[in-house]
Amino acid sequence: MNIPNQSTDINISAAKMFIFFSRLMDKPVLDKDGKTVGEIYDLVVKSSQVYPLSDALIIRKGFPNRKYALVNWPDIERIDKEGAQLKIERSVLNFNQIHDEKKEFTLRRDILDQQVVDTHNHKVIRVNDIQLLVVDHALMIAHVDIGSRGLLRRLGFEKSVDLIVKLFNPQARYLSNEHLISWKHIQPLTINPVSMTIKIDLPQENLASIPAADLGDIFLDLNINHQIALFKSLNLANKTKIFTNIDFKTQALLLDEMNDFEISELLNNTPSDEATDFLEKLPREKIKHILSLIENKYSKRLSQLLGYSGDSAGGLMTTEYIVFTKDTLVQAALNQIRERKFKSEPAQFIYIIDETQHLISVTNFRRLILANPGEPIANSAFPKTYFVHLDSSVKEVAYLMEKYKYFAIPVVDENNVLQGIITVDDILSQLIAFAWRRLKRIKIMQKI
Amino acid sequence: MKNLKTFWAKILIFLSVMGPGIITANVDNDAGGITTYSVAGAHFGYALIWSFIPIIIALVIIQEMCSRMAVVTGKGLADLIREEFGVRVTFYAMTVLVLSNIFNTISEFAGIAASAELFGISKYLLVPVCALFVWWLIVKGTYKSVEKVFLVACLFYVCYIVSGFLSKPDWNLIAKSSVHPNFQFDKAYIFMLIGVVGTTIAPWMQFYQQSSVVEKGIKLENYKYCRLDVIIGAFIVNIIAIFIIIVCANTLFANGIRVETAKEAALALKPLAGQYCFYLFAFGLLNASVFSACILPLSTAYSVCEGMGWEIGVNRTFKEAPQFYSLYTAIIVIGAAVILIPGVKLIPVMLISQATNGILLPFVLIFMLLLVNNKRLMGKYINSKFYNFCAILIIVAMILLSLFLFFTVFIK
Repeated sequence: MNIPNQSTDINISAAKMFIFFSRLMDKPVLDKDGKTVGEIYDLVVKSSQVYPLSDALIIRKGFPNRKYALVNWPDIERIDKEGAQLKIERSVLNFNQIHDEKKEFTLRRDILDQQVVDTHNHKVIRVNDIQLLVVDHALMIAHVDIGSRGLLRRLGFEKSVDLIVKLFNPQARYLSNEHLISWKHIQPLTINPVSMTIKIDLPQENLASIPAADLGDIFLDLNINHQIALFKSLNLANKTKIFTNIDFKTQALLLDEMNDFEISELLNNTPSDEATDFLEKLPREKIKHILSLIENKYSKRLSQLLGYSGDSAGGLMTTEYIVFTKDTLVQAALNQIRERKFKSEPAQFIYIIDETQHLISVTNFRRLILANPGEPIANSAFPKTYFVHLDSSVKEVAYLMEKYKYFAIPVVDENNVLQGIITVDDILSQLIAFAWRRLKRIKIMQKI
Repeated sequence: MKNLKTFWAKILIFLSVMGPGIITANVDNDAGGITTYSVAGAHFGYALIWSFIPIIIALVIIQEMCSRMAVVTGKGLADLIREEFGVRVTFYAMTVLVLSNIFNTISEFAGIAASAELFGISKYLLVPVCALFVWWLIVKGTYKSVEKVFLVACLFYVCYIVSGFLSKPDWNLIAKSSVHPNFQFDKAYIFMLIGVVGTTIAPWMQFYQQSSVVEKGIKLENYKYCRLDVIIGAFIVNIIAIFIIIVCANTLFANGIRVETAKEAALALKPLAGQYCFYLFAFGLLNASVFSACILPLSTAYSVCEGMGWEIGVNRTFKEAPQFYSLYTAIIVIGAAVILIPGVKLIPVMLISQATNGILLPFVLIFMLLLVNNKRLMGKYINSKFYNFCAILIIVAMILLSLFLFFTVFIK
C-alpha cells in the first residue's frame, strides 16, 4: 500500500491533536521499508497516571487464521489515521495466535464497547469510542465517547448522517453535540482474572465523593461478577457506603462472598439501624453466626434491636446518638463533640440523661453553642421533651416529628430509659414505601 | 428428617430460580406455533409427533448454553456480542432482530384478532385493548411482578391439554408414533416438518432467555436449578405442542378436513369435538398471542438497548430510559395497527418473519458457540467436547433448515 507523502510529514511529535481510536483501528501497519505487516488491532496502555499513555501496539494479520504481534512504543515511527509505520523490520516481529491475554490493560479488550462507571454523572455507561490525545510520540487516553455520533462513527455512517442532517438543518444541535466524558471521571470495570478484583485507577476519594445513594444505584446497575469484583476492590468506607444503600438480595449475595473477617469489619462499621435492617431478613442461624463475629458490645446492642418489630419505633431506631449526663458542663460537652467521640447519625440533637440513663431533656447544637460554657448542659435544653416508646408505630412517630418539626426523636422504654433515636430519614423511607404504590399510580396517570 | 428438610430447601431454591426457561419456552407456542401445529395435526395426523423428541433435545442444548453464559458472565447475549464482536456486528444483528420481531409481533396480534372473531368480539375492540394491556403491564410493572404474570400465563396453556383429552385420542397409536419416526418422502410432509422445527427455535429466544436469567441474578452455585428450569420448559412446550397436534389429528385429520390457520382449526373443531373443546382451543390461542405479544417487544427493546448501551427500563421511567420505552411502544403500536388495517393480507407478514428469523438464527447460533467456548469469559464452564459435538450438529442442522426456509420464501 502506498502512503501519500504529506502524511509522513505529520509526525506525532509535531502536532498536538485529538484522534479517535476508531480512526486508528484496522488501519495498515508498515515496517521500516514500507512493506505492509498487518493492521492496527489494539493499544496497550500504561495505567499508572490519571490519563494512561500508550505503551505498545498490537498488530493483527491474516484471515481467518489471525495472528498477533506486539510492538513496543519506542519502535513506532509514526501513527495516525492513515495507519502506522514502524522503525523495525518485518522479520523482527513475533506473530502469535494469542495477543493480549497477559497485558493488563488494552483499549479494545477493556474499554471499547465495554461498560465503565462514569463517576461524574454517577452512571454505568457503554463506551462507543475513545478519544486519544497525541502528545510527544505517544497517545494518551483523553475522553470516552458515549454519544450517538460515536456509535455512527463506529458504524461508518458518521459522514453520511452528518450530510443528511446538514441538508435539513445546518444548525442542528446534533452536529456539534459530542458526548465526551473526560477519562479522569472514568472507572473501568476490567476484572483481573487472577485476583478477581477490579483495579481502581482513580483515587478512591473520587468514588467517595459520589453521594451514597447514587453509589448504591450505580452498583445495582452492574452485573453480579462486576459487583463482587468491585466490592472486593473498595476500601472499607466505600464498602460500607455501598452496603447500606443496596437491596437485601444484593447484600446477601455480597455476604456470601466475604470471609468472616471481612464481615465483622463491615458490620462493625455499619450504623446499627442499617445493620438490623439487613440482619432481620436473614435466617436465624446466620444471624447468630454473624453476631458472634462482631464486636461484643455492638453485637449485644444489635441483638437487642433485632428483638423489636421492624415497623415499631424500637425496630427503626439507631443506637448512635450524642448523649451527656445532666451535670456535664457546656464547655466539656462541646470539647467532647469536637474530639469526635461519638459515632453519630447526622442529627443535630443532643440528649441529656441522669445517672441511671433516664431521659431528662433534649438540646441541639445551636442552643449548646449559644449557652454559657460554664453552665451545666441541662440549662440549655428545650423547655419540653417529646419522645416515643419502643412499641410506638411508624405513624405515631411520623406524626410527632411532623408536628414539632423534629429531625430526630428519642425512644424510651417503659421506665423512661433512653434506648435510641429515630432520625427523619428512617421515617421517610418507611413512609415512601407506604406511599409508593399510590405515587406510582399517579405518575402513570400523568404520563398517559 | 434432615433429608426432607434439604428436599424442601431445594424446592424453594428451584422456585426462586424458576422462570426464564419456562417462560421463554412457552412463548414459543405463540400464534404462529399454534397455527403450525394445528395444520400439522390436521394434514398429517400423528405422523409428525416423533419429531418432538429431537426438538426437545435441540431446544434444551441451545437454551442451556444461554443460561450458562448468563449465570457465568452475568451479561446478556447482546452485551456479549457487543463486547466480543464489536459494534458493527451488533448493530446489524439488532436491526434484523427488530425487523423480525416486528413481524412476529404482527402475527401475534393477528392471533388476537383471530381469537376475537372466534369469540364473536370485534377485533377493532379486542386488539387495541390487548395492546394497551400489554403496554401497561411493562410500563407499570417491575421485573418481578411481570414475571409472575408471565408464569400465570404459562399455566393457561393447560387448556390445550384439556382439549386434547376432550377429543378422546388413541393413546396407543400416539405412543407408537412418537418413538417410530414415520418419515414420508413427500414435499408437503418435509415442508411441514421444517415448519414445525423452525417455529420451535427462534433467535429472539436466546436473547430473551439470557437477559432474563441475568436480570434474576442467579448465582453460580444454583445453576443446576436454572438448567432444570430450561429442561422443564422444553418439555412443557413440546408436550403442549403434541397435544395441539393430537386434538387436530383426532378430529380434523380423522375426518379429512383441511385447514390453513388456527382459526379455521378451532371453527372446524366445534361440530366434531364439541363446544368446550372449541372454547378451550380459542382461549388458548388468545392467551398465547397476548403472552407472546408482551414478550416479543420486551425482549427486542431489551436486547437492542443492551447491545447499544442504552438504559434498560422495566424498573425505570420513560425519561430515564427513552430508547427502551420508545422501541417497546413502537413495536406494539405497529403490531396492533397493521392488524387493524381493513383487508390486510397476513401471508406476506408470516413469510417475512420466517425469512428474517432464518437470516438471523445462523449468526446468533454461531456467535453463541464462539462465546460459550471462550475461556476468558467462561473459564471452566466452556462446553465439553461431547457437548460441543452435539451443539455443532444441532446448529448445522438448524442453519440448513433456516437457509432452506429462507430460500423457499423466495422460490414460492
